[in-house]
Amino acid sequence: MKIAIAGKGGSGKTTVAGTLARLLARSDHQGVLAIDADSNPNLALTLGLSREAAGTLAPLPREILHRETALSGAVETRLSRSPDEVVSQYGVSTPDGVTLLLMGRVDHAAAG
Amino acid sequence: MCGAHAAVRSLIGEMVQQYTHPTIVDMEAGLEHLSRGTTRYVDTMLIIVEPYYRSMETGARMHTLGQELGIRQVYTVANKSRSPEDDRALQQFCQQRDMRLMATIPEDETIQKADRAGIAPLDYDASGVAVARIAALADTLKNGSS
Repeated sequence: MKIAIAGKGGSGKTTVAGTLARLLARSDHQGVLAIDADSNPNLALTLGLSREAAGTLAPLPREILHRETALSGAVETRLSRSPDEVVSQYGVSTPDGVTLLLMGRVDHAAAG
Repeated sequence: MCGAHAAVRSLIGEMVQQYTHPTIVDMEAGLEHLSRGTTRYVDTMLIIVEPYYRSMETGARMHTLGQELGIRQVYTVANKSRSPEDDRALQQFCQQRDMRLMATIPEDETIQKADRAGIAPLDYDASGVAVARIAALADTLKNGSS
């Protein structure tokens, strides 16, 4: 089950995403991964972390990237380690067993 | 967006593809970020719309885009419906645009109260009607939607 939740800002997409992830984790008793890809991330709070805890989370670092040059000369960006390693190393545990990965905030005026 | 973050973001698709457990991606808000890279390996896209025209129009464009990206199951979830009239307007719009409406979540003040309190809706009041509808949505998804 791989689900993307889309919507305009303010539509409630994060409320749906976080609550859905927790309810699926509670009933399935297996790990559910939640990826916060919003550049104004606030999925952590919906997953049950406190504001204080949510405020200290670090986004995935660029060390997980690996650039390789294909035979064609094109440079491709790949994961430098397996998703399991990324999740165990950088994933944040939340109360219902959902593991959170944060893609990072966009602070630049020219964002987008 | 700085280069490192953009590059890390580009790997969401690869993460989603290779990770074996259920995965939920809270996408970047708005239409312009629904790129192939991020959504390439999801099997389901839920588009959250509110019962006003611009939100539904954006939802319709996302729906088209999701289908063009080859996502097998693209569904609409209506949120913050305030009345039976809202429900009808949402249903009618989805029908006209051939969008599948999977759930309707009513306006629920416990969501705003939870937000003000800085607590997750599920922890603030798990008996709220919005949470109940999301639970029903979770059941629908688990039982394999089609």
